[in-house]
Amino acid sequence: MAEALSYLTIAWLDPWLLFLTAAGTFAGIYVGAIPGLSVTMATSILISFTFKWEVNDALALIAGIFVGGVYGGARTAILLNIPGAPSAIATAIEGYPMAKRGEAGEAIGLTTVMSVFGGFVGIVALALFAPLISSFALMFQSRDYLLLGLIGILLVGTLSGESFAKGVFAGALGVLIGMIGLDPMTAEGRFTFGSITLMGGIPYVAAMIGFFGVAEALVQLHNLHLPAIKQKVDRIIPHISDVKRYFALAMRASGIGTIIGALPGTGGDIAALLAYDHAKRSTRKPEVPFGEGCKEGLVAPEAANNAAVGGAFIPMLTLGIPGDAVTAVIIGALFIHGLKPGPLLLTDTPHLFWFTVGSLTLANVFLLVFGLTGIKVFTKIVECPKAILIPLIIVLSAVGTYAIQNDPAHIYWMLLFGVIGYFMKTYGFQVGPVILGVILGPMMDENYRRAMIGARHDVGTFLWEMVANPITLFLTIAFLAMLASQTPLWQRLRASLRKHRGERERE
Amino acid sequence: MSAKPVRHPGELVFALVLVVFSVAALWQAYEISGFSGLTSAGVFPMLAAGTMVLAALCILVRTAAKARPDGASGPESLRFFREVLAPLHLTVIGLILLYLLAIPWLGFTVSSGLFLFACFALLWRRNLLVSLLLTAVSLGAIYVIFRVVFQVVLPQGTLLRGLF
Repeated sequence: MAEALSYLTIAWLDPWLLFLTAAGTFAGIYVGAIPGLSVTMATSILISFTFKWEVNDALALIAGIFVGGVYGGARTAILLNIPGAPSAIATAIEGYPMAKRGEAGEAIGLTTVMSVFGGFVGIVALALFAPLISSFALMFQSRDYLLLGLIGILLVGTLSGESFAKGVFAGALGVLIGMIGLDPMTAEGRFTFGSITLMGGIPYVAAMIGFFGVAEALVQLHNLHLPAIKQKVDRIIPHISDVKRYFALAMRASGIGTIIGALPGTGGDIAALLAYDHAKRSTRKPEVPFGEGCKEGLVAPEAANNAAVGGAFIPMLTLGIPGDAVTAVIIGALFIHGLKPGPLLLTDTPHLFWFTVGSLTLANVFLLVFGLTGIKVFTKIVECPKAILIPLIIVLSAVGTYAIQNDPAHIYWMLLFGVIGYFMKTYGFQVGPVILGVILGPMMDENYRRAMIGARHDVGTFLWEMVANPITLFLTIAFLAMLASQTPLWQRLRASLRKHRGERERE
Repeated sequence: MSAKPVRHPGELVFALVLVVFSVAALWQAYEISGFSGLTSAGVFPMLAAGTMVLAALCILVRTAAKARPDGASGPESLRFFREVLAPLHLTVIGLILLYLLAIPWLGFTVSSGLFLFACFALLWRRNLLVSLLLTAVSLGAIYVIFRVVFQVVLPQGTLLRGLF
């Protein structure tokens, strides 16, 4: 315990780490707030710049960016009605009407306090449950990891995209990209076409920066001439009575956020929408109707999306399975630093775990400080024209991709993935599942083969083992239920049920 | 009729390309090790590519069922180059390609400067002097942050070796 505490406080006592976390949080708020810049984009570019650093330094900076970025989206959502990040969509629904009434400052203050509150709930959950889950995860077998990977990709594909088929396609494409190169088990070339460059595999940082950086920059070219809207901001510090009144709701929303964040494949955006929905259902008599600037609708999604940050670290650090797109990128960073997130991370490198908890906590404290100050400067910076932003994103993407291995070939990959990602985004595909697939693909391949070898190359035994163990059975059922809920069969069943019920009601 | 989703220009072609690409990927995955065993190198790629084929077929069917955009003028190919791959997009992608090709020759600093200037001039359409100034400021900021703070080794060009 004392040991854990000493690791926990590393980031708080070292001035350099303190500075990095603060800088990360500060930068994260702006990155999250400026529409067109996303946390995922920032973390993927940052990874390549920080890979020569000490692990702690890099982690402190990334933790700050993550926490700040998830929160930052709320500010533009309130001030400009443009969610700076997908996790702030619900915030825009309630926040912008408040700003139009001249209550922008109050809305920002309330979201800041609730975000910080949610963030702490998520971190406490991380500190409490990660050690438990990680000792539990030691019992997980190869087939369980295979199922967890599949569930993760399916979840991110179903919940965030336009259609299930598109999500599945994107996930499978990612897995395929992850397969390129020499097979780690047999050293056979896969999709290498005899090329030596391809034998090394596709650098996943190039894929990440391409999909999240260049593709997004190309999409943003469509909104080049959107005019900036100006808002008046005054009182920022929220009323104590408000904080008290929404405490219970914020607590429940944080719970939702933590759990959703902890599920592999789902992150802050889904957590925020679910919490918003919960607030809508559970608030009997809102002061202001929902959709017209209701504070309940502002508190719930903001508490939830920041709680999801701590939640998302749970499966990443204990199982090696990312909770959402940002943690998928952070896993990439840990790989680069030679670390292997998984059940052994907590026993082998406990300092790393407690350090992460510590720097997340610290980032949350800085969030409170930066969140309640500097709004005036903020409104100026966010109005930065896209015409300046887009070329800068591209230059940063290029140098970021190059920096990772000093290989010019990687920047061509980046451009290729960027163009592919642009088309995918245009036609309603999500690029998140692709990256999850790239990260999880090799892991799933390895675990599938181990499980199959364990089943003595017999499909019957393999399938039997999928239901023979309580943990595996649970995961199999979850996987099948998710699959079934998305196929036409289920929809037809539900439609007929509804028809049936409607007939009965008429009688 | 508003319930029926409208097809974007080029969406059907894109769905077709996905099917063709997935089938090619499945064929290539089969080439890795065929059906030689349940744990050979090619099994998982084949599973992934097979999933892609199924998903791509679903996407193709659904896209084909979408309504043709009505009220739109001109043939679809023309609208594709106006709405999806507009001249602006093509120009920017072309500039990026030129930029990436130039990095090994001119080095990072010079090529980024040229790229930024070209983009600012193209997208911002202000005074050229302002664009030039902006280029200098952003390049300076990038250099200080990445070369000095992050200590990234920025690529140097073969033509101007040692200069930048």
